[in-house]
Amino acid sequence: MTDMNKQTINFTLNGKPVSAEIEIHWTLVDLLQRGFDLYGARQSCGQGLCGCCTVVFNDKPVSGCLTLAALVDGGTISTIENGEEELDPVQEAFIEAGAFQCGFCTPGFVLMTRELIAQNPDPSEEDIRVFLTGNLCRCGTYPQIIEAVKTAAARMRTTAHVPV
Amino acid sequence: MTPFEIAMPTSLREATGLLDPEDPTIRVMSGGTALMLMMKTDVFHPTRLISLRKIEETASQMGLLPDGRFRIGGMCTLAQMEHNDDLAAFAPVIRQTMRMLANVRVRNVATIGGALSHGDPHMDLPPVLVALDAIAVTEGPEGSREIPVAELHAGYYETVLNGDELIREVIIPAQDARRMTYLKCTTRAVKDWPALGVALTGVFEGDTLEDPRLVIGSVAETPIRVDEAETVIKGRSLTDKVIREAGEAASANVETIPDELGSAAYKSQLVRVYVERALRAVANQTV
Repeated sequence: MTDMNKQTINFTLNGKPVSAEIEIHWTLVDLLQRGFDLYGARQSCGQGLCGCCTVVFNDKPVSGCLTLAALVDGGTISTIENGEEELDPVQEAFIEAGAFQCGFCTPGFVLMTRELIAQNPDPSEEDIRVFLTGNLCRCGTYPQIIEAVKTAAARMRTTAHVPV
Repeated sequence: MTPFEIAMPTSLREATGLLDPEDPTIRVMSGGTALMLMMKTDVFHPTRLISLRKIEETASQMGLLPDGRFRIGGMCTLAQMEHNDDLAAFAPVIRQTMRMLANVRVRNVATIGGALSHGDPHMDLPPVLVALDAIAVTEGPEGSREIPVAELHAGYYETVLNGDELIREVIIPAQDARRMTYLKCTTRAVKDWPALGVALTGVFEGDTLEDPRLVIGSVAETPIRVDEAETVIKGRSLTDKVIREAGEAASANVETIPDELGSAAYKSQLVRVYVERALRAVANQTV
């Protein structure tokens, strides 16, 4: 390749094989926003502390702002935009509980909550606080977020979403 | 940002071959969290990053060895260590530590090899591994070395690793009935970088504590083992008086340095308080 600053990568994005030309210094958030017009993952703190940039990379949530896009080559990426038109139980529970105000942090909270419930179908309030400690909501809707997580977990335990 | 190249070796041997001890702009990247922060803040300008994502699978495996020691591959993530039940049974302090270390996303990518070789004094894992008497096994062009984690850190972001040497695995000796704990103090969020960390392990014979290892992290350039406080508690019953004496001895003998998380005087006070708390925690542990 003549331009050493550019590179082409191939990966699976929300279930579809894609390729993209990236700049070598791009983060995963840059890749999603500039390459694919996906704005659900957004950089906020830029240090991996706030969770607004959460992306699921090879089945594990990571901080998109601290992941080099070049390293996504050959991998699988899932974002908040993945899925059906209809909302999942976590999104429904967040809306019902009013678990956001401005909504900037919500995609990260939803993705992390899905992971929490997958690992622990019946999380206690303590479990929820520990697991979501790396997600910040500057509107301060934490009580509603905890309520939403409990509601979603309870519903998912009674349906077939998660094997209990 | 200036251009750089990314190499993806498939073995540790190939990775060490890509390193150049004379060129600090060539760096290995495992989880990448720490290096990305250094790159984003313009502290580090790489010419070549060597990603370890594709190296041999044994580097990301762990398990009990036939001789009773526990092996953790250098590329094992902190999340793997958190969720491994064999490791939790072998050394419960590791799971205890993980639950207060950074956050789920960081633990999903950060590796034990990276956490040790970065040499950052504000980390939770190094003092814990020193208190467990763990050994880092390296790989480099000259072959393999075994370095006690207690001797790995040489200064602020400095280790005794050569520039073309990587941590292949970490070995923890059998802990038997050893009790252990790790306590940290943060000054902002709960799981922030520690302002202080105290790791303590020891064997109780009746009421008395034998062979204690007391290690303080995040108050100086490297984790510090506190001989003076260990001498106070060794072979004694952990009465309130002994616990207070040990806290005083630790505070008096650990030379703290100030950082953005607290002054030297504040850290010395933290040492006193948290050494006492750690001693009470192991004294009250039921095995």
